[in-house]
Amino acid sequence: MTNMLTRRTLLLGTATMGLALSLGLPFATPAQAAADAGAAVKFVQGLGDKAIGVLSKPGASKAEIQSTFNQLLQQNFDLQTIGRFVLGRYWNVANDAQRQEYMKLFQTMIVSVYSERFSQYAGETFKVGAAQPDGEKDAIVNSQVVRSNGPAVNVDWRLRSKDGSFRIIDVVVENVSMSLTQRSEFASVIESHGGDFNALLEALRDRIQKANAGVAQ
Amino acid sequence: MLLGVSACAHNPDGTPQHPALAGPEANDPLEGMNRGIFWFNDQVDQAVLRPVAQAYRWAIPAALRDAVSNVLNNVRSPLTLANNILQGDWDGAGVTVERFVINSTVGIGGLVDVAAANGIPYHYESLSQTFAVWGIDEGPYLVLPFLGASSVRDAVGFGLEAWGDPVTRVSSNTDNDWANYTRVGLTVLDARSTYFEALDDLRKNSVDYYAAMRAAYRQQRDGYVLNGKADPRQYPSIPDYSQNPDP
Repeated sequence: MTNMLTRRTLLLGTATMGLALSLGLPFATPAQAAADAGAAVKFVQGLGDKAIGVLSKPGASKAEIQSTFNQLLQQNFDLQTIGRFVLGRYWNVANDAQRQEYMKLFQTMIVSVYSERFSQYAGETFKVGAAQPDGEKDAIVNSQVVRSNGPAVNVDWRLRSKDGSFRIIDVVVENVSMSLTQRSEFASVIESHGGDFNALLEALRDRIQKANAGVAQ
Repeated sequence: MLLGVSACAHNPDGTPQHPALAGPEANDPLEGMNRGIFWFNDQVDQAVLRPVAQAYRWAIPAALRDAVSNVLNNVRSPLTLANNILQGDWDGAGVTVERFVINSTVGIGGLVDVAAANGIPYHYESLSQTFAVWGIDEGPYLVLPFLGASSVRDAVGFGLEAWGDPVTRVSSNTDNDWANYTRVGLTVLDARSTYFEALDDLRKNSVDYYAAMRAAYRQQRDGYVLNGKADPRQYPSIPDYSQNPDP
C-alpha cells in the first residue's frame, strides 16, 4: 500500500515536472498548485495536538473544553461548505430566512456533536499517517486513534487548501463520512415530513436543546 | 430475482474493475417495514444487549476482551481465506494464511494478535463482500430482526456464510454444537462492546437514528468491499461553497 502510494506520487511528480518543462514554467508553480501532502499531515497533527492539549489539561471544565473546540472548529473547518453539502438539493427548496436559520442551527449542532465525539478520545493516542492528494486542491490525511478500550479507530480527514493553509471539509471515521451520514439523515427528516423544510429546523432546534440540557436521549 | 448482476469488466489480473458499491440514494423501498423492525431491535438493544455489553466491559479487563476478539478473528480465518480466493485476491489469501499460522502458534491459539503487532493487520472478509466484488448489486436495504442493518445481497451472503462456515460445519458434524453457540454469543458480545461508544453517540447525536444507521452501514460495507482506507473513489465530491456569500 505504502509502496503503491510512493510509486504513484513519484509518477505524479515526474508527470508534473515534464509538464512544467514543456510549458517552460518554473518548477515551483505546479508543486504549489497541488495540495502539499507534508503540510496537510502537519496541519492535522497540529490540530490533534491542540485538541488533546485542552482535553488532557487537568481541571479543564466542560465549558472550557466546549469553547476551545468551538474555536478550533470555526478556525479549521469549512463550516459553510460542510453545511451546504449536508443539505444537498434541499438548499434550493429553502427560502433565504430558512437558509440563514439552518446555517446557524447547523453550526451550533456540529460544534456540539464534534466536540463531544472528539472528547471521547481523551487520553488516547492520536497517530497521524500519510496524506494523499485528491484532485487539485484536496488531500486526504489518514490517522489512527489508538484506544485503550478496544481496537484502534481509523479516521480520515478531508482537507481543502485555502489561503495558504487548509480547511477540513469532512471527517471519515472507519469509512463512515460524517457529512454523508448527516446528509442522509437531513434528507430523511425532510422527506418524512412531506418535503417540509421547517421539519428539519425543528429537529435541529430540538437536538440542540437536548444537548444543552444534557439529556442523554 | 432481486439480485441483479451488473456487467462485470475485468482487469488483466482477473479482478473486476467495478465492485458493486452503494449508490448515493438510500435504496430503501421497504422503509416502513424496516423502520418497524429497527424500532423493535432498538428496544431489544437498549433493554438487553447494551446493558449486557456494559457489564462485559465493566467485569472483563480490556486485555482479556482483546484476546476474545483475537480468537474470534482467528477462528474466522478459513472463511476469510475462502472469500479471498473467491474474490481472486491472492495477496489477501496469502495474508490470511500468514496471519493464521503466526497467531495460532506464536499467538497462543489466536489469543494474541502477533501478526497485527508486526504489521500484518486483520482484514474482514465476508460472502456479501465477495458478491459485491463480483458486481452483484446490494438490492433493497433491509433491517433484519435482531441482526440489524443489511440488504438483500448481504442477508443472502450472511445466511449462506453462517451455514457454510468451515468451522461451523466441523463443529456440527462432530457434535460440538456448544462451540457454535459459544462463538455466536461471544461474537455478538464482542461486536456490541466494540461499537459501544459509537452506537451511543449515533443514537444520541442523530436527528434521525434510523437514517443515520442506514447511511453508516452502507458506507462501512463499501469500505470493507474496497479493502481499504481513504480511497477517493469512495468519497463524495464536495463542491466549494465557501466562496458563496452568506445567505
